[in-house]
Amino acid sequence: MTTQMRAFTLFSALFAVVYVVCVEMNLALVTYHPRLGQWDIGTVPARTGPAMYWFGWLASAGLAAALATLLATPLLRRIGPPVWIGWAVPLASMLAFFWFLRSFFLR
Amino acid sequence: MITFLLILHGLAAVVLLGGLTHQAVAAIWPARKGAGKHANAAIANSFRAVNARLYTNTNVVLYVVTFVLGGLIYPAYRVAVRTWIENARLWSISGMFEIKEQFLAIGLGMLPLYWLLWRHQPDQPPDPQFASARAWVTGILCVVVWYSFLAGHIVNNVRGLFGQ
Repeated sequence: MTTQMRAFTLFSALFAVVYVVCVEMNLALVTYHPRLGQWDIGTVPARTGPAMYWFGWLASAGLAAALATLLATPLLRRIGPPVWIGWAVPLASMLAFFWFLRSFFLR
Repeated sequence: MITFLLILHGLAAVVLLGGLTHQAVAAIWPARKGAGKHANAAIANSFRAVNARLYTNTNVVLYVVTFVLGGLIYPAYRVAVRTWIENARLWSISGMFEIKEQFLAIGLGMLPLYWLLWRHQPDQPPDPQFASARAWVTGILCVVVWYSFLAGHIVNNVRGLFGQ
């Protein structure tokens, strides 16, 4: 298994986990106010109309997962996660969202 | 402009669905030599017998393009459509869309691994060591895209379906 394969496996798993954490703890790198057409840095409450955090969650998860994978690269040259982590963790994260979003279907 | 982008988003999703479905079926249920003498079996076998790795780059580009187009029309949905859905108390429809956005985001994070799993030298077959991972990753992305396509269509038609 190459270092690149190990790195991409780790990134896939980390991105999914960090994304779930960002959504559940509302850690958005940016906030978009669609009615105003304005962007804010960080997680900012809604002003006029709703606030959109999805872009910020993506940015937070992408940046955090990329940085962590980059930092782990020297270690990945010797050891690394098995490749199934790269699909099993994202799959588990997707299933977790059914639980987190269950209130939509139980009203 | 939003309507144009929405149609483009839908068309890109249709092409992505075709590519990912062919590839996922070929990875999960590979075609066998000599199988499919009956007409129906031959059709199924030819559906599975595609050169799956050829779809990879196109699928990655289409996923990203469809994702970006979805991101561009998302603010319009958030302001106009979701507000209407919530006022109509169609919580399960709203929840379907919430799940779609989270699934697609996680799928986006899987794309680099998906690309790498299918990449190999042109004159060599894909590494059999990763056949299972290839099938799982492609299968998950295929299910995510199918779910998102259907959920997106229901949300797009929500007023016609549930507007009474």
